Amino acid sequence: MDGSLVIFGHWLQNRPYALAIAGSDWAYPLVQATHFTGLSIWIGTIAAVDVSLLGAGKRSTPPMQLSDELLIWNWIGFAIAVTGGFLLFSVSAETYLTNIAFLTKLGLLIPLGLVLHVVIQRKAPAWEKASETPPVAKVAGLAELLLWLCVATAAVLIPYVG
Amino acid sequence: MLLHICRWLQDNSFLAVINGTAWTAAAVEIVHYFSMFILVGLMVIVDLRVLGLVGLRQDATQLADRLFPWIWGSLAFNFLSGFLMFAGSATAYYRNDIFYDKMGVTLVAIVANIIVQQKVSKWNQLPAMPAWAKLLAVVSIGLWVGAIIAGVEVPALTGVG
Repeated sequence: MDGSLVIFGHWLQNRPYALAIAGSDWAYPLVQATHFTGLSIWIGTIAAVDVSLLGAGKRSTPPMQLSDELLIWNWIGFAIAVTGGFLLFSVSAETYLTNIAFLTKLGLLIPLGLVLHVVIQRKAPAWEKASETPPVAKVAGLAELLLWLCVATAAVLIPYVG
Repeated sequence: MLLHICRWLQDNSFLAVINGTAWTAAAVEIVHYFSMFILVGLMVIVDLRVLGLVGLRQDATQLADRLFPWIWGSLAFNFLSGFLMFAGSATAYYRNDIFYDKMGVTLVAIVANIIVQQKVSKWNQLPAMPAWAKLLAVVSIGLWVGAIIAGVEVPALTGVG
């Protein structure tokens, strides 16, 4: 792996806050729980919109115009998840930066997911107003859910490939 | 008796293969995490709607009707994958106090979900959400966050999982 990345990882994991988290019995799991709580809000608000676009659920209910209203909570969840994720990363940055599953997750899957997410967020208000959800909206909604599932897959695989 | 069942589960060759094979064990974990995110996230949206913090242009009953099938669907996946993970080291979980805490908190959280689902249309007909509904929504969010904290503490403090 690129030498400068490893030097950066080494520097990061020796920051006082990273050492403090690593050295404490309770801090690390609490940071993990923070990451997961943020992810729940992030993925949950995404799923609510995508599921609504897919039109699944009760047929009798009209399409929901959710994307605008969930926007703030969506990004609050993202901010919590990134904060928790960054702290987890800091604790063993050097190891993560040489882990192919982590690099794929952070370098490829998350950027892709974010691009698709922002596109959906911009288009969703129009899609949601249409009397019939356009096919492209359904494809986008399904693709986004699958893409975040891939992100979770890469995350779970980090210890398996490390 | 319970320990007996735990031993039997752990020695069950089918369950042992699932937990002993890297890719199936990883797949089970992925399902467990992802279904948890959807389950907790959607439930938090319903709770926030009861609290009046999200989706006020949405009808609370319709929002709940739309999201609850997905909440229960995710719970089914979450339970099944969680059970498979449990079965692989059942006797270790049997002796694990924090695991009991996690199950207890999760169970109460599920009961809170059920109450919200049952009552939301009634609350929705009132001029404002009643105070105890809002309290229940706050408790529900707290319980799910508590379940997540207890969940990460199981491997962190005891090395099981």
